[in-house]
Amino acid sequence: MAEILVTGLVHVYREGAVRALDGVDLRIAAGERLALVGQNGSGKTTLVRHLNGLLRPTEGRVTIDGTDAGSMTVAQLAAKVGLVFQDPDRQVFSGSVRSEVEFGPRNLGGRGPELATAVNAALEATGLAGEQRTNPYDLGQSRRKLLALASVLAMRTPVLVLDEPTTGQDARGVDRVRAVVDAVAGEGRTVVAISHDMRFVAETFERVVVMRAGRVVLDGTPADVFAAGNRDVLGSTFLEPPLPAIVGARLGLGATPTDEALVAALETRPSGR
Amino acid sequence: MAGSARLSEPAARTRGVPAAIGRPGPSAFHRLNPLTKATLATVTAVAAVVLGGLIGPAILVAVAVIIPAFAAGVLGRLVRTALLLSLPIAVSAFLVNLFFLPGAETVLLRIGPITATAEGLAFALEILARILAISGAITLFYLTTRPADLVVDLERRGISPRVAFVANASVQTVPAMVERAGQITAAQRARGLDTEGSVWRRVRGVLPIVGPVILGSIAEVEERTMALEARGFTRPGRRTLLWSPGDSTAEAIARWALLLALLALIVARIAGIWP
Amino acid sequence: MTLTLSGVGYRYAGAAQPSLLDVDLELPNATVIGLAGASESGKTTLCLVASGLAPRTVGGRIRGTIRLDGEDVDAWPMHRLAERIGIGFQNPGTQLSQVADTVFEEVAFGPMNLALPREEVVERTWDALDALRIAELAERDPRRLSGGQQQLVATAGLLAMRPTHLVLDEPTAQLDPAGTRLVADAIGRLAAAGASILVAEQKTDLLANVASRVLVLDGGRVVRDGPVDEVLGDPTLAELGVAPPSAARLRMAVAAAGIDTAVLGSLDG
Repeated sequence: MAEILVTGLVHVYREGAVRALDGVDLRIAAGERLALVGQNGSGKTTLVRHLNGLLRPTEGRVTIDGTDAGSMTVAQLAAKVGLVFQDPDRQVFSGSVRSEVEFGPRNLGGRGPELATAVNAALEATGLAGEQRTNPYDLGQSRRKLLALASVLAMRTPVLVLDEPTTGQDARGVDRVRAVVDAVAGEGRTVVAISHDMRFVAETFERVVVMRAGRVVLDGTPADVFAAGNRDVLGSTFLEPPLPAIVGARLGLGATPTDEALVAALETRPSGR
Repeated sequence: MAGSARLSEPAARTRGVPAAIGRPGPSAFHRLNPLTKATLATVTAVAAVVLGGLIGPAILVAVAVIIPAFAAGVLGRLVRTALLLSLPIAVSAFLVNLFFLPGAETVLLRIGPITATAEGLAFALEILARILAISGAITLFYLTTRPADLVVDLERRGISPRVAFVANASVQTVPAMVERAGQITAAQRARGLDTEGSVWRRVRGVLPIVGPVILGSIAEVEERTMALEARGFTRPGRRTLLWSPGDSTAEAIARWALLLALLALIVARIAGIWP
Repeated sequence: MTLTLSGVGYRYAGAAQPSLLDVDLELPNATVIGLAGASESGKTTLCLVASGLAPRTVGGRIRGTIRLDGEDVDAWPMHRLAERIGIGFQNPGTQLSQVADTVFEEVAFGPMNLALPREEVVERTWDALDALRIAELAERDPRRLSGGQQQLVATAGLLAMRPTHLVLDEPTAQLDPAGTRLVADAIGRLAAAGASILVAEQKTDLLANVASRVLVLDGGRVVRDGPVDEVLGDPTLAELGVAPPSAARLRMAVAAAGIDTAVLGSLDG
């Protein structure tokens, strides 16, 4: 399993001398479930693209599982870090769901029964097992997004990075994504997700990293990050804590980032109010 | 929002079309009507081919390309761009004619088995002058005219708005596709597609990149079409233009004069009256 | 001006099953109606049918009647309907014409196509920009704006047509929270100013804020139709694949634990 270490990461885009990352230090332990939040332009996408080598640091370093990412090609890093892009139409090219999912693991050298097992598991996890011969463009947009997820899941990488996995998904789709995150993390694999769905973040991840202008401004559990004291910091990045956190703060119940936490806090509150 | 009611309070003073739209060019030549500039470029290019000898095309280059370019302030860029455009063909045409003109006899220079001849040199210079005239004329037009301005002018003169739209949109297509291809390449590399390996590997990598470019573009076309139709794009007939490049009687006369002069030149050439 | 759909069904060309069945919908003046439902429940199809794009541009077969203020619009060509019913989509980028170098020209695209006198084109364009508070973007290149801003430009382009009804298909689906806020506020302001809007959204919080009625689709049929609080507060909503709004979910979770929901106080805002 793989630990990710980001040290003093700076990334400047050549064109506009835009300092997309302004010194980021981050340690992600193997098996962690981490959500990366912040408005567009805060550096989230730039950061995750360093994890699989699509972008290289201007300064600083990224280390995956003890090895400097700078010494590995993107194809080599793809075996360690699987990145699911936000727009499925930027990757789908096969005539069938199954062959689309096979593409990634094949590139990594998967063959025969081993390949079939990985593909079947990925299709099962994303609810696409019944659509193996369907043309991806005959699936709706939201299921195509799940297909993109399946195609990276099948690569069985120690680290899974998801870019906006719930955009455009309905309630069932979101549940499926959550189930996938839980299953992957349950195997001891790391999951990093960019999301601007604060409820999804609070309910699914154990650690939240908030970025603004290329830097990390908050880093902690959902309860920490969505606590009342941080509301202004979050507001400066146009984010709002999920409703239970706001209500819990108003009722003086401490940090309650999810419905369950708020209910629990109400239940254990001494009565007489 | 019912029907034709205003949506907001009227502004304190009336605002017109924003200044950024239809901003006039920096020089008088820039401000000429696009059709005039296009006529000049076309007439110059055709005349350069029709005119015999070396003097004719050389004068043409001076009068119809160099002087206007200087007046428009684009001479430096024109020389660089036109040379860049025409360099490969100019160099090869020059050398071929210098050394290999059939029937040439007056020897200037011998390099091993090949010979440079005086007749070859003269002919090569003529060819060079023509090439420079044509590339110079086209470059002058390109440097002093925005493509969108030409399309708007043509639309004012009667081409269908739908055709005008396609002309304008086509210019956008390539950069958009290139950008899309870049994003797709990133996504496929993230799935282990090897873009840095052997030739065979790279060939196998073409479909995973070209596929989504094409499929994605096709999928997008339907959505774009719907968005356009929702804004009355398919309404037959003309549409209102916010702005169009100015034109004048003097310019119209100049255009006709240029075309007639070209016609006269062609006739004179065919009749053998003028070299 | 009321847009009425009666018994409307629709089948895409070459599809085995219809995507819409027996839909009744009435969208009068100054009303915002929300459309909820799982993916592929028919929300987009209903938006396309209501705006006339289906079957005119998209093909397929339609049943039932669509009336604008009592008049059957079946024979109307698309450009005529486009002046009455504006439709916006979720992808901001594909709605831009790509031939406009400034936001002003982009928004003016519709009125220009209608061959209105130039002064009126200009007035309608500024009016639409003002309504969405983006007049300061007039000289910017629309292709370089953020997703939220582009969505507003696209919506302004529709408003400049001065439609009587606006159909928005998941306008905030691809936007970040800042963009969602921009668009949601704009919808709220338009609604307050008397607009007629049919808005399909997964974000039921947004619908709870701006809509007065909500329809829920399931398998192409309307299965819920009522006042917003009633429909979105219904505990069986989740079974239809629709996530209840945050406030409703919280109340349900608290009530399920046997705690009096009054303890939560007001959950508005």
